[in-house]
Amino acid sequence: MAESYTRSDLREELRRAPVEPLLPIEKKLIAWSLSIGLVLLVGLALLNHYVPATF
Amino acid sequence: MSDTTLNAVGSPRTATNTLLNEDWLAVFLGLFIFVLALAALVHVDLIGWAVTTSVWGNFGQALKATSKDYAALGGIGALIATYVALLVVLSAGAAVLRSDVKRFALAFTAVFWIAYASWIIGNFAHFAAVTPAEQQKFGINWSLKLTNEGGYIFALIAGLIIANFLPRFGEAIKDAVRPELYIKVAIVILGGFFAVTAAGKLNLASSLILRGVAAIVEAYLIYWAVVYFIARKWFGFSREWAAPLASGISICGVSAAIAVGGAIRARPVVAVLVSSLVVIFAVVEVLILPFVAQAFLAHEPLVAGAWMGLAVKTDGAAVAAGGITESLILAKNAAEGVHYQPGWILGTAATIKVFIDIFIGIWAFVLGYIWTNHINVTDADDKAKLREIWERFPKFIIGFVITFFVGLYLALGTPADIAKNVPAAIGEANTFRVIFFILTFFSIGVLSNFKTLWQEGFGRLAAVYVVSLFGFVVWVGLLISWLFFSGITPPLAS
Repeated sequence: MAESYTRSDLREELRRAPVEPLLPIEKKLIAWSLSIGLVLLVGLALLNHYVPATF
Repeated sequence: MSDTTLNAVGSPRTATNTLLNEDWLAVFLGLFIFVLALAALVHVDLIGWAVTTSVWGNFGQALKATSKDYAALGGIGALIATYVALLVVLSAGAAVLRSDVKRFALAFTAVFWIAYASWIIGNFAHFAAVTPAEQQKFGINWSLKLTNEGGYIFALIAGLIIANFLPRFGEAIKDAVRPELYIKVAIVILGGFFAVTAAGKLNLASSLILRGVAAIVEAYLIYWAVVYFIARKWFGFSREWAAPLASGISICGVSAAIAVGGAIRARPVVAVLVSSLVVIFAVVEVLILPFVAQAFLAHEPLVAGAWMGLAVKTDGAAVAAGGITESLILAKNAAEGVHYQPGWILGTAATIKVFIDIFIGIWAFVLGYIWTNHINVTDADDKAKLREIWERFPKFIIGFVITFFVGLYLALGTPADIAKNVPAAIGEANTFRVIFFILTFFSIGVLSNFKTLWQEGFGRLAAVYVVSLFGFVVWVGLLISWLFFSGITPPLAS
């Protein structure tokens, strides 16, 4: 069924929405994502340093 | 203020009763133009009538047909021929998408003429001329030095005026205000153009592509995690809002917000609202970042290109910002006597963006799996499935890859008498790439109603965007672009 929302519905919802605490799975997602990202970035930066672009 | 209704099933991506979706339509339209252009390889000029615009002092100098074969058409004739051809082809596309063809045709007529008129104005010598030689050629003693690609900014401003001061007119033409479709067609065509550019310097091109991997790591693993944390912890957004918001800000704007919104089973209206914010901020970025890049990164052109691909959200704005940046930086270097080959800055921005796009489906699946199995545990039927990776894969990338490899083969793998005609043939297709860029810019403007930012309740959404984008995304993007692209310069023009 088609649901429809007005902007005022959404504004109200955003204003009244209860705070949802971060779940352990969300904390894990953030931590793993950042850790893997930073490790990969350092690895790629090293690769970039030792295998420079060829012209 | 009137209260707009946001229809939950009104999102363009959610339509299921169409023959093709917008992504596939973009692939077919882009390939259609590309194939027509390639006929020039066997000396059959099928699209040389397309209009092209030069910097002008007298209006009579502004327009002409792309190919000398169609010079008899004159500038206005070429413009009308281009309009008619696009009207026919895009109206057929609208029919395929099951849109109202008559409404589309009327709306497209307004979109095309206003957008192209803005482009022509942007090419006026007082706005576009860059070098003293150009100023002398046009008999002027000052200019804004925006280059001819500054015409995109004029198209954007025309759209912004309509969105913010003539909203009823904006509503009347909305059937043809389709920035996502236009930019996807342009990106498909861009694949061939980039191939011709890369053919002469394959080592450099492959180095750039490998460095695109860094962009993926940054956008998905670093940006997303930080923005999601900011939205949840500092601004108190629910998971349903925070995930699409983080995806829109960190990955690829509209496409990512919609893909992730669907994957975590958020209500479609969440992605629609986040998308409208993404577009508004992309406009702000396009109006600022290329000029910042020209001022501070003119001697690191590929850092500037990569930065546009990483920092500007939505495909249309990012790739087009790459185009404006290229034009501004090439002009600044030309004024100093350094003439870089065109295509590399734009190609770098587009490659970074395409690399990021490729993984939207996979990232959406990862989040969908976590959400449906651990956060909002759903029935087995509604859990994230592997096939969603393909369903959410942006199909226009297939078109980009096809035109890139076909272009590369034609430039490098065919006999010399054919290969020498490839740049001119693909150059004709590139004329349409420019026109689709213009339509994209105008459409983005029409969708950018800044009143949204002042509406009570949505200010918090905008605040997350401002804090994340200008406090983190833009600067980390610059740092990583510098780390991977500094010291690499485009080849000099021969």
